[in-house]
Amino acid sequence: MATAQLAGWGAALPSRVVTSEEVAARFGVDEDWVVGRCGIRERRWVGPGETTASLAVEAGKAALAQAGLAPSDVAHLVVATATPEQPSPATSAFVQHALGVTGSAHDVNAECSGFVYALVHAAALMRLDPRPALVIGSDTHSLTTDPADRDLGILVGDGAGAVVLTPGDREWFLGFDLGADGSRTSSLQVLAGGSRMPVTEQAVRDGLHHARINGNEIYLNAVRLTVATVRRTLAAAGFTAGDLDLVVPHQANIRIVDSIVKHTGLAPERVFTNLDRYGNTASASIPIAVSEALASGRLRPGNLVLLAGFGAGMTWGSVLLRWGGGEPS
Amino acid sequence: MVPTLDELLDQIAAVSGAAAVDADVPLTQLSDVDSMDLMEWLYSFQSEHPEVGADAALFADDDGRTTLRVVHERLTAGAVAPA
Repeated sequence: MATAQLAGWGAALPSRVVTSEEVAARFGVDEDWVVGRCGIRERRWVGPGETTASLAVEAGKAALAQAGLAPSDVAHLVVATATPEQPSPATSAFVQHALGVTGSAHDVNAECSGFVYALVHAAALMRLDPRPALVIGSDTHSLTTDPADRDLGILVGDGAGAVVLTPGDREWFLGFDLGADGSRTSSLQVLAGGSRMPVTEQAVRDGLHHARINGNEIYLNAVRLTVATVRRTLAAAGFTAGDLDLVVPHQANIRIVDSIVKHTGLAPERVFTNLDRYGNTASASIPIAVSEALASGRLRPGNLVLLAGFGAGMTWGSVLLRWGGGEPS
Repeated sequence: MVPTLDELLDQIAAVSGAAAVDADVPLTQLSDVDSMDLMEWLYSFQSEHPEVGADAALFADDDGRTTLRVVHERLTAGAVAPA
């Protein structure tokens, strides 16, 4: 049976750079306080004309070019986002049209775990339909964050990352773990804008269309859930943390990443981070990091690499890959 | 099982890197200790003592006056409360 291999990758980032000095001034704190709290020195925020879909399109183009494929070759497009182009229809519809993809298109919303979810879903889909799939993570949380919310305002960044899956005979996907705990929806949420609380003038006046975070709950559960998913995926595949060549975690906050590394026994030098430059780009953080890891040579053929994320919901996901695949099946 | 107040202060200091931690200063005014340090301590404590059932409510601070002495009192009360 054909399996999925990662044949292309790419990223797209807004041109506007927002430094932590600028963010710190907005919130009346020192730049060192911001950097010490999250490890982020600068992030990219969208400007006029840039949207979740436009970033996704650029990342998708880059990944397709890397793979040597045309948009018409893509049988399935999956876009992971929690900051959609508009409430309906799906962001993937806009991306599909702009790219010229003619295959299926749907969104996945698992918040910051979204890319891992989408990647696994696409790989699973390809077992049934071994044709190319384009998986994109794209988010623009700068647009959904209350400008006065310091906790989120220092963290969020915008961007998109993409990978192309093509059929192959070498097994790349060695294991995965996806999960959710819907009892924790209040840890990070946008209250207004859905059927439970439609947008009204009052809701907007009350700022309920903005994301709200319980930072303590997020920190605790992000660490707990990510440590657990990493352990489950490694154990199920018969590997240990020491076997990993590279770990690409969701680039949430360096303090959370450091805690996950500490509690899972991962080697810090094998953990890829770039959040100092891009902030927390949600669904986009892992594919952007993978693209950078490949460009910099940190990720090479033959490497055992683990992608691991967590997100609001709360959701979690990890996937273990042998980059370049194992022996032909 | 539950640390003494002094042990708690030492543990928080170790997690945060603070030279010393005052039991009677409100959490929001502790220098060199922030909420993520407290959650990092709590994660380790939860992992080592799941039977205590400690959670983030330990650090609830609605009036801005919660101190580590208060946290320790809550922790101790939770540990001895009947199941």
